[in-house]
Amino acid sequence: MQETGRGFGAALLTPITLFYLVFLIAPISFFLVMSVFKYDAFLLYKPVLTGENFTRLLFDSYYRAIVGQTLKVAALTTLFSLLLGYPLAYVLTRTQSAWRGVLLFLVIAPLMTGIIVRTYGWIVLLGAQGLVNGTLVASGIIDRPLKILGTETAVVVALVHILMPYMVFPLFSGLAAQDPNLERAASTLGAGRARIFFEITLPLSRSGIVMGSVLVFTLAAGAVVTPALLGGKNVQMLGQTIYDLVLHTLNWPLASAVALVLVFLQLSIIFVYLRSSRRGVVRAR
Amino acid sequence: MASSAPAELQTAMRDRSVAGRLGPAALRLLVILIYAFLLGPILIIVVTSFDPTTAGAFPPRGFSLHWYGEFLRSDNFTSAFEFSLYLGVCASICATLIGFVTAYAIVRFLGQKREIGQSLALLPAIVPQILTSISLLLALTFVPFPAFAALLAGHVIICLPFTIAGITASLDGVDAQLEAAALTLGASRLRVLWEVVVPLAAPGILSALIFAFIVSFGDVYIALFLSGPGMTTLPVEIFSYVNWESTPVVAAITSLQVLLILVLGLTVERLVGLRKIMRF
Repeated sequence: MQETGRGFGAALLTPITLFYLVFLIAPISFFLVMSVFKYDAFLLYKPVLTGENFTRLLFDSYYRAIVGQTLKVAALTTLFSLLLGYPLAYVLTRTQSAWRGVLLFLVIAPLMTGIIVRTYGWIVLLGAQGLVNGTLVASGIIDRPLKILGTETAVVVALVHILMPYMVFPLFSGLAAQDPNLERAASTLGAGRARIFFEITLPLSRSGIVMGSVLVFTLAAGAVVTPALLGGKNVQMLGQTIYDLVLHTLNWPLASAVALVLVFLQLSIIFVYLRSSRRGVVRAR
Repeated sequence: MASSAPAELQTAMRDRSVAGRLGPAALRLLVILIYAFLLGPILIIVVTSFDPTTAGAFPPRGFSLHWYGEFLRSDNFTSAFEFSLYLGVCASICATLIGFVTAYAIVRFLGQKREIGQSLALLPAIVPQILTSISLLLALTFVPFPAFAALLAGHVIICLPFTIAGITASLDGVDAQLEAAALTLGASRLRVLWEVVVPLAAPGILSALIFAFIVSFGDVYIALFLSGPGMTTLPVEIFSYVNWESTPVVAAITSLQVLLILVLGLTVERLVGLRKIMRF
């Protein structure tokens, strides 16, 4: 029976294996390979090996600026998500409130509404006649509405709003898994609350911070819709660049090279974070 | 909401938190502000949708259902809404079927290799969605299969990590001895699956189905590249509309979407809890 069981298990795993191979791994591999092919206006690409797509990305200041802005927006988004997400996750794990379930649901709920809904919310909020400008003008702080839409600030604010739940979840798991006795022991031994937080709670939530930051950074770096709608011409990130190259310029090989740069950035950030977290563990010992 | 439970929250914070020294009020205020930040933009949309003027101004200058009527009169938006519903139903059924057999194999047959299997199953969640989407579009230019199939495949792919996670969690709660008993009594493996496992894991399977629908319905990245004539999803229709103009008709549509998602999300929360599907 064990043998038939194994065969049955393999059979059950066949659909997903085929599905991922055919619709995920094969197409993505092929698309990324295209980055070393030559651009051709009629055939999409010519299967001739070339490094020109990459040299263009490395030496053209236009593309370097895009990489720079992507990194900046993704880093700021990650930082603010952490600054807002940490206290939220902390309170959610520590509260004894009967509303805890509701509070958790309210963190997940915005995530389920989709990116477009939340991006549109910020268009309404930050517009010339929106709540933010309306309040500022009415209170006499400014005379004319500020131009917030179409700036990097608008993009970062909206991305923090959209991606923060991805920071809260791993932080929540990490904080919830901490043994409360550690903090109690430290308290009994006379450590103050600040010291308990900085020497026990915070270091122990390191893996949650790493996980959340990697998630938020990766998703922010790949954003297309939010920068396009809220940043307009002033914000050019890698995601939109790929979008334009594929759908408007029709330069697939260059799009593929830009996509590889995006993947490379994401992998390096994962690598840096994993290294830093491992070093942290060693030092803690 | 946070203010609704002051007593417990206060005690909890006084006991153990760093902010206990700053005063629990400071931390509570911060959390209230964070919730305002999280929910504000969505509530604003709902309020704006009832504004009779074109400006989408806040605060609204009256109350009317004008923009909801406008939505119903717009062929582009209603057909996109219908298409999104249709695609969501197809994608969630496929993702739940594949997710169920995969989750069952992971829980019962992988043994030591379970962790690896689980990580591999989550692969699409790590790949940037824009990459998945463009690659499928590219594949379409070489392999002649229907454009709808590519869009559907893309949606099934982004739903699978959630259905697998949700169903795996609920299968963990199913007693393997019941299956062993049924096998000993002569039931075939398929019959065990259908008559023992499926009924026992039903809440998890149903939740996975609903959550996959939510993921598909809200997706914009996959559909951005794979939408075509006659198959534009609602988020993509909104995206291209907002690119040119912004009237509260979008607020009306997105409010309806929020309502739909809220009802579905609460159902999943009741059935198994959203945390299991979100894996935290």
